[in-house]
Amino acid sequence: MTENPAIIEVKNITKRFGDLTVLSGVSLSVHKGETVAIIGPSGSGKSTLLRSMNHLEKINSGEIVINGETMVSSPKGTAEYVPEREVRRICGEIGMIFQHFNLFPHMTCLQNITYAPQKVKKQPKAEAEAEARRLLELVGLADKADAYPGQLSGGQKQRVAIARGLAMNPAVMLFDEPTSALDPEITGEVLAVIKKLAENQMTMLIVTHEMGFAREVADRVIFMADGHIMEQGSPADIFERPQSERLQSFLRSILRT
Amino acid sequence: MTETFSYIAKILPALLEGTKVTLVVFFATLLLAIPLGLPLALGSDCRFRPVRWFCRGYVALFRGTPLMLQLFFIFYMLPIYFNILLPALTAAVITFVLNYAAYLSEIYRGGIGSIERGQYEAAACLGLNSFQTMFGIIIPQTVKRVLPAVTNEMITLVKDTALVSAIGVADLMKNSRSAVNRDSTTMAFLVAAVIYLILNVVLTKFSYYLEERFSRHEARAD
Repeated sequence: MTENPAIIEVKNITKRFGDLTVLSGVSLSVHKGETVAIIGPSGSGKSTLLRSMNHLEKINSGEIVINGETMVSSPKGTAEYVPEREVRRICGEIGMIFQHFNLFPHMTCLQNITYAPQKVKKQPKAEAEAEARRLLELVGLADKADAYPGQLSGGQKQRVAIARGLAMNPAVMLFDEPTSALDPEITGEVLAVIKKLAENQMTMLIVTHEMGFAREVADRVIFMADGHIMEQGSPADIFERPQSERLQSFLRSILRT
Repeated sequence: MTETFSYIAKILPALLEGTKVTLVVFFATLLLAIPLGLPLALGSDCRFRPVRWFCRGYVALFRGTPLMLQLFFIFYMLPIYFNILLPALTAAVITFVLNYAAYLSEIYRGGIGSIERGQYEAAACLGLNSFQTMFGIIIPQTVKRVLPAVTNEMITLVKDTALVSAIGVADLMKNSRSAVNRDSTTMAFLVAAVIYLILNVVLTKFSYYLEERFSRHEARAD
């Protein structure tokens, strides 16, 4: 994997909310075509790490490089971002899927998917719609093009959100607990879509509590706790041969429930 | 009884003339104040301080002083201090627009503030700039949420237009008072009340229609 170019490079980043340090000295890179799962107890900084990568959170220090372009660096110790417009352009290479979908409720599924490509990439409407229909097909919702988000189930909403993210043709997709707001019996339909993307060599970083899924789909699993990456490796390493006491106890607590 | 009806028939033309003027003030204010409230609302939360201070100061001024006083200021004091003489109806419309824009801007600001942060985040992640986010994502969702409050303001506006009679504009209020003074009967006030009431019932019906229209996307398929 490492011979592939890095799509995301995070170097030694620190993020504080007031007195609370949520990320301390985290470094990680994600390479082209790789599917990386981040696991860990709540409050470990997983979501904040993800949100820092596309500028939803500002880091206090460290460096983030997306697709070869530096978004933020810390030559003098504290984080210095490139200008706003540049940040937006660089983050354009990143698609994001949220726990609560965040679809635009006043737009149909088709409009949700085509709005940004038309506005940001100046894609002609017909082209954007053709692409949107192809993506809806991919996520298994071809018949929902004209439905409003309020008419869909949670699982369907999340699949539309994935199609919306893919429509911008990002270099990498970030998933922030994509199934945590869903009823257990419908997480499968969303996970199946993500799995399909993994098979198509989409570069993905997934924060998840679905251990079975992480084990099956991820090329690499990262275990975070207390704002640090405690351990990382292949799913087999992490789930069958956990090294640290923290990971062992985390896995025990997960298995118990 | 027939006497009453024939009296009403006699004064009705003047009252309807007045109603026309009332409606002119109403619609001119509605058409101008509704859009003007938006830049004020956005400005009140602007990161650029002078803009924020200006907008908040403006709102404080126009919400903090009586509408009647503002009307007198524009109509009587502008000519004295700034040598700007406006026709009474123009002065009335300007005052109402300035005043109602302040109230509406606060309603809009509340509506915009009620949109979930996730909507902004999703828009940012799709690469939308702040203009596209505001006008494509946030404001369309705000419309439905502010409609009841805006309707409330518009109903108040219908009744507030009666104030223009204080600077001599021949609206429904002024014409009904003329009839009362002239004929020594308060019947004209009763008729005026019914006309105001009818205007507001129509307005309320229309706002329900709009609310329904803007809630269409919430209708469930099943």
